[in-house]
Amino acid sequence: MASRSMFLRILWKLLGASRGRLTVALIALTSGAAICSALLNVNLDAERKLTQEFRTLGANVVIAPPAAGSEASLADAAVLDRIAELHIPQIAAMAPYLYVAANSGSQPVILAGTWFDQLARMNSWWKLEGGLVSSRADHEHCLVGFNAARQLGLAPGSLVQLRSGDRTISLTVAGIVTTGAAEDNQILTNLDSAQTLAGLSGRVTVAQLSVSGTTAEIESVTRQLANALPELDVRPVRQIAAAQGTILGRIQGLIFWTIALILILSMLGVLASMAALAMERRSDVGLMKALGGTVPRIMRLFLAEAGALGALGGIFGFLFGVVLARWIGQRIFGVVISARLEVLPITIALTIAVALAGAFPLRLLGRVRPAEILRGE
Amino acid sequence: MAPVVQVDQLGKQFGEVRALDRVSFDVEAGEWIAIMGPSGSGKTTLINILGGLDHPTAGRVVVDGLEIGTLGERELTRYRADKIGFVFQQFHLVSYLTALENVMLAQYFHSITDEKEAAAALDRVGLADRLDHVPAELSGGEQQRVAIARALINHPKVILADEPTGNLDEANELVVLKLLHELHEAGHTILVVTHSQAIGNLADRRVELEHGRLARISVPSLAKE
Repeated sequence: MASRSMFLRILWKLLGASRGRLTVALIALTSGAAICSALLNVNLDAERKLTQEFRTLGANVVIAPPAAGSEASLADAAVLDRIAELHIPQIAAMAPYLYVAANSGSQPVILAGTWFDQLARMNSWWKLEGGLVSSRADHEHCLVGFNAARQLGLAPGSLVQLRSGDRTISLTVAGIVTTGAAEDNQILTNLDSAQTLAGLSGRVTVAQLSVSGTTAEIESVTRQLANALPELDVRPVRQIAAAQGTILGRIQGLIFWTIALILILSMLGVLASMAALAMERRSDVGLMKALGGTVPRIMRLFLAEAGALGALGGIFGFLFGVVLARWIGQRIFGVVISARLEVLPITIALTIAVALAGAFPLRLLGRVRPAEILRGE
Repeated sequence: MAPVVQVDQLGKQFGEVRALDRVSFDVEAGEWIAIMGPSGSGKTTLINILGGLDHPTAGRVVVDGLEIGTLGERELTRYRADKIGFVFQQFHLVSYLTALENVMLAQYFHSITDEKEAAAALDRVGLADRLDHVPAELSGGEQQRVAIARALINHPKVILADEPTGNLDEANELVVLKLLHELHEAGHTILVVTHSQAIGNLADRRVELEHGRLARISVPSLAKE
C-alpha cells in the first residue's frame, strides 16, 4: 500500500515536473483523439445518415406487372391501397405512374400521371422553375420536363392541350422541372387526369417506392412486398442499392485510414516530446538504477505517466470529438450527430496505445548505465 | 570475523586502458577507508565496482559474503538496494522530488516506504525543517546531507562516497565531515574517494592508488592517536 502511494506520488511529481513537454504531447494526443472520436461517431451514424440521404434520391423499389409497358400488363391502381395496408414503416414515399402517349398539337409527348404530393418527397433534388404542384387532387396544373417545355414552347403559366385518341384535357403549366432523367421529356400531371385522357380508369403502369434503411433492410421490404403482391414484379433498383453499398464501404474505408493516419501523426508528435523528455530523464534513471531500482519498476513509472497522458488525451479528445462530429453532421449531412458513448472507451484505448507507442524513447532509458550517468557522461 | 569487503587481485580494463590492475585489500566492518590518489588513478572505477555499478574484468570482490563479479544485472540491482549506500560528489537528487521524497525513493526501490523513518533520517542530518523543499531550494551542503540521509535509510552494509565534499564550500565540508565521523562512530563501514587530505586524515586507513595500482595502504597519524 505504501509502495503504491509512493508510486502515485512520484507519478504525480513526474507529470508536474515536465509540464511543458507533456503539454505538447497532450495537445498531440488530444488533437488525434478528437478527430478519431469525431470520425468514429460519424462512422457509427454514417450508414443511417447516408441511407437518409439516398432516400432523397428517388425511388429504390419499383412494382410493375410482369411485362410492364403494354396496355395488357397495366396494374390495378388498388395495388397502392394494398401496399398501404401492409403498414411497412420503412416505406417513406410511394407514387403510382401511368404513362400515356399523347400529342400537344402535332407534337408527340409522354404524359405521366402521378401523385404530386409523393413526387416532391421522393425527388427533392429536382430543379424547379415556377411553381410546384403539391396536391394530389390538383386536376388543373401540370409540371413540364425541361426538354419537353423547350420542344413545345411552354413556360410557367402557359396553357397546354393534350390529346390522346379522341380525348383531350387542358392543363396550366405550374413549373418547369429539370431532373436529369426521363421526366425531362415528359409532362407530369394528376393520375386521374392521365387515366381520363388514356381511358384507363383505375390503372397504373408502375408504382415507385422510396424505402429507407440499409441495403439488407431494403431487400427485406422487397421480399415482404413480393409475398404480398405475388402477381406483380417487385424489384429493388439495384444500381442505387449497389451505389449505396459502394459509397458506404468507401466512406468507412476513408474513415478507417484517416483514423490510422491521424493516430500515426499523433504518435510522431508524442515521440518528439518523449525523445526530448528521455534526454532530460537520463540522470534520474541512472540514479534510480544506482539506488536499486529494477528496469521494469522504473519503466512502470514512465509508462504509467504516458498512459495517464493518453487517458487524459482520450477523454479531452472524446469531448472535442463530439463537438466536431456535431459540426460535421450539420455541415455534411444536415443533421445533428449525437454523442455515442461506446466511442469513449475506444477513443481512450486508442489514445493510450498511441501514447505508449510514442513513449518508445522512454523505454530506451532502461539501457542507461548508471556508472556512466553518475560520472557525468 | 571475515572482512566486510574483500578485494582480491581486482582488474578493470576499458579497451586498451587498464583502469585497475591487481588491486587487493580488505575492509573490516566499521572501518573508515579513504581511497586516495591522483586523477585517473582508478578511484572512481574501484568505487563503482564495489557499488555494483560496473563489472570487474579480473580478480574478485566480495562484499558481505557476495562475490559481486558473478552477479547478473537483476542480482546486482538487488545488491545495490540491500547492501550499498551511495553518496555522490554531484549529490544526484531527483530535482522534482522533495528532500523527504528523495529519501523515500531509496526506500521505494528497496522495499516499502516509511515516511516517518525518512523524516527521522533527515532529522538526523539536521534537515528536519527542510523536508518539503526540493533540491533547488536547498544549499549544496543541505543537498549533500539529503544524499547522506538517503544513503543511510536502508541500513546498508557499506557506505560508498565519491568525493562527497568536492562541490562544497568549507563550512559545508565541515558539516559533512562531521556527519561522516558520526556515522563512523555509530559503526558504519565507510569507503570515501577523496582528494582531500583532511578527510584522508580522519579515516582509519588510506588506500592509495597510482595508475590503477595499489601504491600503499597507510594509517593516518590521527587514527594512530
